[in-house]
Amino acid sequence: MPKTRETKRPEHDDKPGSVTRDLAARIARAQGERKVRAEQARVSAAKDMTGMSRGLRLGSEFIAAILVGAGIGYLLDLWLGTSPWIMLVMLLAGFAAGVLNVTRAANDMNKAAPPPPGSDLGPGNDEDDDR
Amino acid sequence: MADPNKVDPIHQFALTDIISFGEGGISFTNSALFMVLTVGVISLFLLLSTSSRSIVPSRAQALSEMLYEFVANMVRDSAGKEGMKFFPFVFSLFMFVLVANLFGMIPFFFTVTSHIIVTFALAILVFLTVIIYGIWRNGFKFLKLFVPAGVPVYVLPIVVPIEIVSFLSRPISLSVRLFANILAGHITLKVFAGFIVTLGSLGFLGWLGALLPLTMTVAITALEFLVAALQAYVFAVLTSMYINDAIHPSH
Repeated sequence: MPKTRETKRPEHDDKPGSVTRDLAARIARAQGERKVRAEQARVSAAKDMTGMSRGLRLGSEFIAAILVGAGIGYLLDLWLGTSPWIMLVMLLAGFAAGVLNVTRAANDMNKAAPPPPGSDLGPGNDEDDDR
Repeated sequence: MADPNKVDPIHQFALTDIISFGEGGISFTNSALFMVLTVGVISLFLLLSTSSRSIVPSRAQALSEMLYEFVANMVRDSAGKEGMKFFPFVFSLFMFVLVANLFGMIPFFFTVTSHIIVTFALAILVFLTVIIYGIWRNGFKFLKLFVPAGVPVYVLPIVVPIEIVSFLSRPISLSVRLFANILAGHITLKVFAGFIVTLGSLGFLGWLGALLPLTMTVAITALEFLVAALQAYVFAVLTSMYINDAIHPSH
């Protein structure tokens, strides 16, 4: 297809390699832009998340873990006939997993929408040691 | 409410049989009809809009290219280049949830994603994909997902069950989030719209008062369009994040 391109861009037809070199440069630039744009899109999408959807995200993460923990414990109790002990233990594990889920989700949200530079984050802010 | 037949916010989620097959209770319901319609609309739109393959895209082609780019960037961002293997999967899920949610915004249409069994089926599909691909690709190392790095050995008996419960809770939270958002939104919309009717039956002052819920209904409708798109986005983002876990099973 170089024919059509040359007719469209007549300023390049004096040198044979310039069209492809120009194209390569443009592809490289577009690929660089893609990364930047994707980053911008991600940040703005995270900022656009409404409060309700943030809340529902955190809430569902928390409750799902508790339900799953209690459910596993209940089924194990039915199977082993040790009611209600495993369920109690797994319920607590579910709570812990729920807290873990929420901290991870909140961490993601914070990373996606970092606070503006220079804002006061309070004493003892240790954002460097999160994994 | 005075007249339960008039204002019933739950009625919109009722399943009705359209065609029944035999005695087994298997039937083609309105939910199934709208799933078929959703898939049909997506396929028709994508096929028609990309059929000309012009270099300078038409509006429809530009829209489908934007959708493609959007999901491709999302998958590339969260799951890396290797995750692009799953691009068709994530794209299908995204389009299905998006179009099903938007269908729900059309009056008298059934909202497929307002039933938890539908969203749960989608979530369990993601979950099984992650597990099967993770084990197939990483073998035993997939279990590293449950052992966070840098944790002392004596804490592991406590941490590993917690990580397992956290992992197992993913399909639940994924499905509950989508279903709860759509269900809550549609019920709120219906309740506020119902207030207009109830207040309107009180005469002139009632009509004046009905202006308030009317404004709310308009505002909530706009919000619901946002939620419909956002929840499809969240579902697809989390899917690609989980797929990233299957590819690189370590935190």
